[in-house]
Amino acid sequence: MFETATQGIITGILMGAIYALIALGLSIVFGIMNVTNFAHGDFVMLSMYLSFAVGSALAWDAVATPLITAPLMFLFGIITYYLLIDRTLRQMYVVQLAVTVGLQILMRSAALIIWQAQPRALQYSFIQGNIQIGDFQILTSRLFSAVVSLIFIAGMAYFMNKTWAGRAMRAASDDLGAASLMGVNYHKTYALTFAIGSSITALAGGLVMSFQQTDPVGGIRFGLLSWAVLALAGLGSLPGLIVAGIIVGVVESLTVSFFDPRSRLLGVYAIFILVLWLRPRGLFGRR
Amino acid sequence: MDAEPILKVADVTKKFGNLVAVNRASLEVNRGEIVGLIGPNGAGKTTLFNAISGLYRPEEGTVFFKGMNITNWLPHKICKLGMSRTFQVTRAFTHMTVEDTVRVGAYNRFNEKNVQDKVDQVIKVCELVDIRKRVCEDLGLASLRKVELARALATEPEMLLLDEAGAGLNATELATFMDLIKKLNQESQITFCVVEHVMQMVMGLCQRIVVLDSGEIIAAGTPNEISNNARVIEAYLGKRAVHARNQ
Amino acid sequence: MNVKKFFNPRNILILFGVGIALVIPLIFKAGQYTMLLMTTVLLYAILASAWNIIGGMAGQLDLAAAAYLGLGAFTTGTLLIRWNITPWVGMIIGGLVATLLAMLIGFPLFGFKVKELWYALSSSALVVVMQSLFMMWNEVGGPTEKYLPVGTSPWYSLRFNDYMPYYYIMLIILVVVLLVNRWIRYSKLGYSLLALGEDEDAVEVLGVNSQSSKLKALAIYSFICGVVGGIFASIYGYVHPAFFDTSMSMEIAILGIVGGMGFIYGPALAAIVMVSFREVLRASLGSQLAGLYLAVYAIILIVVALYQPRGIAPLVERGIKKAQTYFVELTRGRRADIKSS
Ligand SMILES: Nc1ncnc2c1ncn2[C@@H]1O[C@H](COP(=O)(O)OP(=O)(O)O)[C@@H](O)[C@H]1O
Ligand SMILES: [Mg+2]
Repeated sequence: MFETATQGIITGILMGAIYALIALGLSIVFGIMNVTNFAHGDFVMLSMYLSFAVGSALAWDAVATPLITAPLMFLFGIITYYLLIDRTLRQMYVVQLAVTVGLQILMRSAALIIWQAQPRALQYSFIQGNIQIGDFQILTSRLFSAVVSLIFIAGMAYFMNKTWAGRAMRAASDDLGAASLMGVNYHKTYALTFAIGSSITALAGGLVMSFQQTDPVGGIRFGLLSWAVLALAGLGSLPGLIVAGIIVGVVESLTVSFFDPRSRLLGVYAIFILVLWLRPRGLFGRR
Repeated sequence: MDAEPILKVADVTKKFGNLVAVNRASLEVNRGEIVGLIGPNGAGKTTLFNAISGLYRPEEGTVFFKGMNITNWLPHKICKLGMSRTFQVTRAFTHMTVEDTVRVGAYNRFNEKNVQDKVDQVIKVCELVDIRKRVCEDLGLASLRKVELARALATEPEMLLLDEAGAGLNATELATFMDLIKKLNQESQITFCVVEHVMQMVMGLCQRIVVLDSGEIIAAGTPNEISNNARVIEAYLGKRAVHARNQ
Repeated sequence: MNVKKFFNPRNILILFGVGIALVIPLIFKAGQYTMLLMTTVLLYAILASAWNIIGGMAGQLDLAAAAYLGLGAFTTGTLLIRWNITPWVGMIIGGLVATLLAMLIGFPLFGFKVKELWYALSSSALVVVMQSLFMMWNEVGGPTEKYLPVGTSPWYSLRFNDYMPYYYIMLIILVVVLLVNRWIRYSKLGYSLLALGEDEDAVEVLGVNSQSSKLKALAIYSFICGVVGGIFASIYGYVHPAFFDTSMSMEIAILGIVGGMGFIYGPALAAIVMVSFREVLRASLGSQLAGLYLAVYAIILIVVALYQPRGIAPLVERGIKKAQTYFVELTRGRRADIKSS
């Protein structure tokens, strides 16, 4: 009982850090551009496939693939932004929903066409194996992924607060009109923001690929998980994002170990809906 | 006329975090009056209106309307009781026509059978006949302000709160608007409380004026008394004078 | 009734559409596959029209159509399997159960003023929750299909050998749902919904109880979805947790948006055009490359949403208006001819 719980919590914390990283891309895009990308989970799915393609072609380890997939996803983000997102900014938000859901269907069917329906996975990572602490086991690949995620989120916090590009992005979020008056060209800033959000999923996708497989509909789960993390965290607080990611990861992991693997997402949704009801701005949000 | 005021605001306080937007404000409006609520930008006028009309819950204080304690009532209940309002930043139903917009308000007291008569009547009174089939997003500010007044009027209120209804109008539009309010006040016995920046409108319209500054009520009286009140001149007119000199 | 007034372009179009819908099955009598397809098209048209009440009019981006549909299907199926209760009754109970769930969720949600994106997400989550719950509830759901018995009378158990009866049942429901749409649209509820979809505070100070208006809209929508779910189960002949389909729910919302938010016939029109198109694509491209038809379908959805953001109904309206002026001129011209002769 106690052992199962502790093991569940450890697994949950590690997964939670990765969920925080996945939600970071969404948080940046949603927080700064106020764009609701319903296809975010599918960006992760696409990243995982790209990681699979690169990893199997070059015989690279999954965790090294973001070196190539991140620039690819950056490019994909830029193209998506100018082709689709930019045109929805001044429309009713339902148009954004329709367009991003359309994108979601498109990405899923593209994945189906290119990689077929069966799940794809890479060879075991060089960071395979377990670390044994007392009675508890930690998958090395997950530990590695979690640590990388946390480091990256910290780096992102630095970027947003200390660099010119980060400040421009935040200025653009404060007031679209004012920012373009102040000489920040919001189209470029937004394109950059969206592309950064998109390339973060490449990193996350590579990390997840080191211990999981991917299939064309794998994006649903990541999409809904990221929105749950974001709802919990609120906007604008990166430490909040980490805590929220970990809460979601732990709740998910405990539901699986104590209840039923099929109920994986039930606990997550329970907190998601409770948060919407009771704390519409999230637990840590400024807005 | 009732001896009891139709609206009585007693010690209402509304905070946003640390900011006290309205601080123990009290005011009374008698039946049939047009009362002006003035004060510099950020004084808390809109916030006070929101607290009266039920959009905000005040932290402290009570609001009485027609002798009933309506503090913490939901806005639609307050409207049913006989109070409606307009908004400082116009909040039109963008994709609806003028006529449909007015109809939304008219349903407050009328059913499917007689709602159309009310709509026609209000549209005529507010001089919206020419644009009744137009969609709100195609209208200019002056028309939008009239539409907001019309839809509030269609609820058959005994009292109307107008939040800067004259802002952004030119001299002729303003004169028409003031005439309309006067007419409604005299012919339909509607009580008004108006927030106004346009001095011409305040002085020409209001029988009594209440002055709000930094969330606190600093003076109340006839237009004459107010324009001679030293505190008001310092807090409000004074700032304007200084501003005017600098230009 | 004025005969000339009745035969205006709009009514002619409507009559034409209904006429075609009535005779099509007789033309395709042999093609069971086509019949199933057209029944599916009608199913989407009904769901999108029902969505129009909560989404198009009230502006609440509901993504839970399949949650209510699935609940209706399971209720109807279980009642038939366990107690041999006819789906005719079952689908009504299914509709009510779906409404009950909607009210349980909607009451706090609207009460706490959860809206826009967050309403969309929580409704989308509801579909997943329902799927997980029914996946675990082995007596009723579970990972294997539960088949509905055929029974002795096909009309009692609503199990037919061909799709034609289902098609006509769906057609009748679609007409009813469109009439309900029309009735709501031009009533107090409709005006209140349209207005609160644009500005909730502004509508509240006009005496509209936005929470109860939204709940009414949600109740009607979920009831229709639940009822249709009952027929859905009958058509497929089984119930399965896969009925709780997030993608389908999203597609319903998109059809509602693409059709034209708040236009009575818009969502149905979009469903008929887009879903037929999708199925034709599936038939012609599906054999070559799995997924290709969906990709093409998605691109068309995106293009319509981007270039016709108010939906296709305004386009149709413009066409009708043009036809109307042409019509008037035509009759006038004829009258002039008669006079001059
Ligand atoms: N929703 C809000 N959240 C936080 N602060 C607010 C909000 N609304 C108003 N305020 C603040 O309250 C004060 C009073 O604002 P307001 O009532 O709009 O003033 P007025 O209408 O007199 O110009 C201002 O300092 C304003 O910034
Ligand atoms: Mg104000």
